[in-house]
Amino acid sequence: SPKIGDSDSIKVFVRVRPLTRDTGLTTDGDQSLCLSVTSPNTIRLCHCHLCLMWKPTQFLIGLLSCSGQTGSGKTFTMLGPSELDNFTDNLRGVIPRSFEYLFFLINREVERICFSNEFGTCSPSPTLQQSPQSKSFLCKCSFIEIYNEQIYDLLDTASASLFLRENIKKGVFVEGVVEKFVSSAAEAYQVLSMGWRNRRVASTSMNRESSRSHAVFTMTLESKETINEVVNIRMSQLNLVDLAGSERQKDTHTEGSRLKEASSINRSLMCLGQVIMALVDVSNGKNRHICYRDSKLTFLLRDSLGGNAKTYIIANVHPGSKCFGETLSTLHFAQRAKLIKNKAVINEDTQGNVK
Amino acid sequence: MASFNSNEWRAICDKFTNAQNLTETESRKDPENDPFRSKYKARDLLREIYCSLKSFEAGEGEEDSSGESGDQRPTEEPVDGQREDVFGQGFSGDSPAGLRAARLGAVEYYLGVNHVDTEELSAGQEHLMNCMKLLERCRVSSQNVSLFIHVRNQLGILWAGRDETETAQGFLETAESIYQRYMKEDGSPPTDMTEYFTTEENLLTHQERTKRFELAYTHTMYYLAQVYKNLGQTERAATYCHTTLQRQLQLNQFTPMEWALNAATLSQYYITKGRYMEGRHCLSAATVISDLAGEVPSEAAAQESEAESERREHLRQKRAEIARCWIKYCLNLLQDARKQLEDNIGELDTDRQDELKMARRREEEEEEKGRKSALLFGSEDTFDSIASIEEKVMCLFPLDFTEARSVFLVGQNYVTQAKDFFQMDGYVTDHIEILQDHSALFRALAFFEEDMERRCKMHKRRVDMLETICNDLNAQYYLLIRRQLMFELAETYNEMMDLKLTLANRQADTQSLDNHTIKKFNHLCSASAKYFQMFLDSLCSPEGKYPEHLEEEVLRPALVARFRVARLHSRFISSSPTVQLDNLNKSLENYKYVVQYCEAHPEAEAAVETELELSKEMVGLLPLKINRLKARMASNN
Repeated sequence: SPKIGDSDSIKVFVRVRPLTRDTGLTTDGDQSLCLSVTSPNTIRLCHCHLCLMWKPTQFLIGLLSCSGQTGSGKTFTMLGPSELDNFTDNLRGVIPRSFEYLFFLINREVERICFSNEFGTCSPSPTLQQSPQSKSFLCKCSFIEIYNEQIYDLLDTASASLFLRENIKKGVFVEGVVEKFVSSAAEAYQVLSMGWRNRRVASTSMNRESSRSHAVFTMTLESKETINEVVNIRMSQLNLVDLAGSERQKDTHTEGSRLKEASSINRSLMCLGQVIMALVDVSNGKNRHICYRDSKLTFLLRDSLGGNAKTYIIANVHPGSKCFGETLSTLHFAQRAKLIKNKAVINEDTQGNVK
Repeated sequence: MASFNSNEWRAICDKFTNAQNLTETESRKDPENDPFRSKYKARDLLREIYCSLKSFEAGEGEEDSSGESGDQRPTEEPVDGQREDVFGQGFSGDSPAGLRAARLGAVEYYLGVNHVDTEELSAGQEHLMNCMKLLERCRVSSQNVSLFIHVRNQLGILWAGRDETETAQGFLETAESIYQRYMKEDGSPPTDMTEYFTTEENLLTHQERTKRFELAYTHTMYYLAQVYKNLGQTERAATYCHTTLQRQLQLNQFTPMEWALNAATLSQYYITKGRYMEGRHCLSAATVISDLAGEVPSEAAAQESEAESERREHLRQKRAEIARCWIKYCLNLLQDARKQLEDNIGELDTDRQDELKMARRREEEEEEKGRKSALLFGSEDTFDSIASIEEKVMCLFPLDFTEARSVFLVGQNYVTQAKDFFQMDGYVTDHIEILQDHSALFRALAFFEEDMERRCKMHKRRVDMLETICNDLNAQYYLLIRRQLMFELAETYNEMMDLKLTLANRQADTQSLDNHTIKKFNHLCSASAKYFQMFLDSLCSPEGKYPEHLEEEVLRPALVARFRVARLHSRFISSSPTVQLDNLNKSLENYKYVVQYCEAHPEAEAAVETELELSKEMVGLLPLKINRLKARMASNN
């Protein structure tokens, strides 16, 4: 089973939800558990652990994502107990904790500078905490949902589906997405819970299944530092992703040898392209183009899958033997995720090597 | 069907229509918490139909014994294999008994599919196998051949889903051979399975029957393509993809843009295998068929309505994608031709050139034959248009500059087309990939250019198209692309430097180079070194620390970059001994790095064999040179 990686760009954690009395999933007895704890590395997950790895003062694109079947405790891991408005609860999830930690770091940084700057006075405004001479932070949040390869803004439910675009300076971004400025962990959490509520409303009114959609909460942190009139701007980004229930991912690449079926209704062999794609050899160094883009999610998170990003995936599994199939597929997913790397093939001119 | 009165029969037909409707239409609206509601309803209806048919059969009282004996046979292995005897034995599919078996079989088939859809695979398998058993008693005929194929398609899907690819292969290959034999021996439009449960007046036309039957077989081809892919038989899989596409085209069962993209993707398979004739054919067909998707709405029309705007975006993007496949075709053709023609120092080998030209003349006559044996696309309407697009670019390796240029120009034309859609603002990654291909096209063409001055200009074009972008790109978000660009720029400058030196040496014929040339040479040299260094710096951690251990993907580029930087520093032309000494020290330092890294990481040695050997040599020699220089400087002072 997957373990915490060492040098990999993606670290995978497995969290086994405890058995609870009130869910229908857990009626089987203790003997039938399909997972047992062999060493702490294989199961335990420490929330604070993850948050500590992010330093907002340096550039980093962080990605924290959660995968697992429906009912395996993804939402619990990410948010904590449902209907939780007061996020000081002991059981609060990774997201509220990372907000707290982030603002703890920001405030510490701002205070440190204020303190050392004897002439200046701090004037924390709602959106911008600025000390006269040196450092200010700006934090923005957006929250989107990807369902059926369409992007919806969870902070503006009235908007139609949005497009992904790229900019030479900004990288990949969602065009026209609502960005809310926040200045404290509580505000950030408010934005999050608003989006989360909208997600539930949208899923019932528009026949979107939340178990088949991915939700991406993005925090962008901009730090502006002025040293001797030289302005230094750094951008960091933290993506918190709630992946679709992995048992329903038959339509993505996770399905192994299953055949893609033809839907006779629209006389379309939709996936023939994917079959051919798999035949096109990458290994022999030939230059080729594939007409089928990656999924929206992978394109959006491309920066997070290699290069200078830190990525953590929490695979959630249910310990019951009833869920054996799903648990296995989640663990397989986690194992594959560890192997994901964004590679840059260097086209080396072999001539002139040694001339 | 004597015993059914028409009312009874009509009720069965209605039930069937209802079940079909529930399965295909209603089931899509089922709520998330009850996803199979309509399918379960359909299942109940099918069971009722089955009971009615069964009780009718019992009433008839005939053929029951053979049915029983069939059931008592030991349960067989669910492997189909090549069973050709389905044409020879059993009672005729057209006999009343045959028709009854087919009807029951069809209900079993629909029940099987229903169970598979609702994730009850073993129950589904049982129903499908029951259908197989019922059919086993009948000979293949126009009454039942469609069912013969459909049930095998479904079993193929089912077994492939269980990772039992060989079992799936058996069913599908049997379906394939049944189709072929039927078409050879009978070929009349067969009854569609839905017709077992329709009243006289609703029977299908011959045309519709043929269409449905051919579609079922197209699916067989499509599934076989996947089965062969899963078995790792890529060539076979490609052939079946090709057949699937060809059948879709011939039978007019396709959506143009989707088809065109599939054909364009298939072309990329062929070019990776070096089969340019097939690659070109796929691309030409893709271009022709994509035009069937209709005119691209004008910008004005797009502003009027959202639907038009979406259609415009969609059509333009897909055409640009096909253009990009064409670019790769031209690029690979040029690069492969180059590989054939270059000598051991990467220059044009003229003997080889003559030899290949001779060989080509001989082959030209043979080509005609090869052409015919290759798989081709086309329907009556499209064949000529496809051929006329093919004529615009060659599929044999270009052997001289004129030929190479004609391929280059076609490629460049597609670059313009592709860039028109994939603009920098909005599609940064795609835009740059296209530019990289454009640059590579120039590089491949430059090989064929004999005039050094003009060759140098081609490389200058490459620098011009990449340099600003490389420097403007956000270093955080486009790290990987920038690494590629930096490396390419470094190499291009390196190449230009070599060309300048060769040219200067040719003209001057002595060691005395004029000041202008030296300045130019040093400029190119430092530009190359600068980009190699930028590449190396990009490997550093956010804190600016160079990694102790190089990741596998960057291992060779990083060591090669070090090696090149070392060489570049030793090549600077300067009359000042201090500058010379400085450069030599830098050179030595970088050579040492390569050697030391490989000592510390022996696994890296294989990746940079030649470079390592030379580095070792230089680490031995350079200190002598440095010492001599130092001695001379001391004595001059």
